[in-house]
Amino acid sequence: MGWEMEPLLLAWSYFRRRKFQLCVDLCTQMLEKSPYDQEPDPELPISQAVWILKARALTEMVYVDEIDVDQEGIAEMMLDENAIAQVPRPGTSLKLPGTNQTGGPSPAVRPITQAGRPITGFLRPSTQSGRPGTMEQAIRAPRTAYTARPITSSSGRYVRLGTASMLTNPDGPFINLSRLNLTKYAQKPKLAKALFEYIFHHENDVKTALDLAALSTEHSQYKDWWWKVQIGKCYYRLRMYREAEKQFKSALKQQEMVDTFLYLAKVYISLDQPVTALNLFKQGLDKFPGEVTLLCGIARIYEEMNNISSAAKYYKEVLKQDNTHIEAIACIGSNHFYSDQPEIALRFYRRLLQMGVYNCQLFNNLGLCCFYAQQYDMTLTSFERALSLAENEEEAADVWYNLGHVAVGIGDMNLALQCFILALVNNNNHAEAYNNLAVLEMRKGHVEQARALLQTASSLAPHMYEPHFNFATVSDKIGDLQRSYVAAQKSAAAFPDHVDTQLLIKQLKQHFAML
Amino acid sequence: MAEMKSVFREVLPKQGQLSVEDITTMVLCKPKLLPLKSLTLEKLEKMQQAAQDTIRQQEMAEKEQQQITH
Repeated sequence: MGWEMEPLLLAWSYFRRRKFQLCVDLCTQMLEKSPYDQEPDPELPISQAVWILKARALTEMVYVDEIDVDQEGIAEMMLDENAIAQVPRPGTSLKLPGTNQTGGPSPAVRPITQAGRPITGFLRPSTQSGRPGTMEQAIRAPRTAYTARPITSSSGRYVRLGTASMLTNPDGPFINLSRLNLTKYAQKPKLAKALFEYIFHHENDVKTALDLAALSTEHSQYKDWWWKVQIGKCYYRLRMYREAEKQFKSALKQQEMVDTFLYLAKVYISLDQPVTALNLFKQGLDKFPGEVTLLCGIARIYEEMNNISSAAKYYKEVLKQDNTHIEAIACIGSNHFYSDQPEIALRFYRRLLQMGVYNCQLFNNLGLCCFYAQQYDMTLTSFERALSLAENEEEAADVWYNLGHVAVGIGDMNLALQCFILALVNNNNHAEAYNNLAVLEMRKGHVEQARALLQTASSLAPHMYEPHFNFATVSDKIGDLQRSYVAAQKSAAAFPDHVDTQLLIKQLKQHFAML
Repeated sequence: MAEMKSVFREVLPKQGQLSVEDITTMVLCKPKLLPLKSLTLEKLEKMQQAAQDTIRQQEMAEKEQQQITH
């Protein structure tokens, strides 16, 4: 045997190089050698260090930024009584998409999500949610989020991750939470912090974590802001927003931290008080001028309130501070694309490519921008690459769908037909592809097929106006006025300002009056 | 500026018919830019995938065990 490294140092090194599995394995070996019985022996400082290191490594393996995580289950969404006003005034709520006062793109130009908002350029865990209006919509998986929503957040991702980690450990979990003597740990602040993070992130046992945090904050005589933030986080997970708000506010009084501002704003957003959240962010900006996360928070809220121009303003502000901010670049890029400036959008997406983003979505966007900015040489190669990078069938379906648009643009109807069919092969629920396929079938004169496709599309995506309107037009042409009227009404509900729909309804009303 | 205006005058035909026929055409759904995924989301999805894979592997292993014992 040659030189052998001190195992604890090696474990530390693994940890710092983010090789957590190796670190954990090594720690497990060391803990087996030096006896430990649920809790580290105070006589053996090394075993204690190993214990903490293992807890931290296990935490890091599953750690996700708590600020970004927000998964709402169906129950939370539909039975939500946290909003202050059930019928809020316009412009003060995130639930109503809000009328488009600021001249953002209309749904005729920019596609909308199920919740009635224009699609965004960036997908975060919380943008996936978007509050659906009815139970039926809630149960159906939204178009942008490919995993179906769990029934409640306590049966969601966290738990599934937890069970997996249990299965991988044949000897049971690392720390048996029910046998922990929390009071004892609360008296050792350094140990308690690592333990708390382990319980909160790895075990997802929020109640135990809360108990530990409460004991610890008591032990620190309510002078440690960190514990207050942690209690707030626990309350937030338990959906006790008012209590969480109190904790965060008290923590802010002691020590102003950017994170605390972000958590508090998250509470306000959950309480459906975007204006309060905006004010809070602005307060935070006074303390931390030019802080990117705060600016980005403001931009997100404006975007969710459908105030696209203000959102763009703040995203630009973000870019002034941090010119590699992917979210800001992507959002500004998509804004430009949907306000008829694909060539500028192209520059933003190219910037992303330069920065090393390399995925299906980016190449798809590049392809679309190239096509609409008349840079035809790059279009097809971009789409080819997007297809080869697609990770799942849904992504491939979206790429084929967009390729169909290119085919329509160059007038190759056969290719377009094939593309939309391929989109449907990859994702049988692609409502937009059904609609466009119907339009193409109609051009060939296949009325019945077109009607069937449109019906499928409108049942899949009742929030889109196109299938309703097309169905109304087709029905009107073949003389089925009653159906046409019903569909036109639906179209008007989805997109009130659509001129053609209004004309059609007017015509139909005249017809009915003549009868 | 006043002179310029007198030089260029728009031409509006005062005779003849002007007819505009507005045919309602069917609308295509618009091309869709795909949103990029945030790092957190990617990590979550990766972890979820890994978790599902481990569960599946365990289940497969259990099944094989059962088949051997039978």
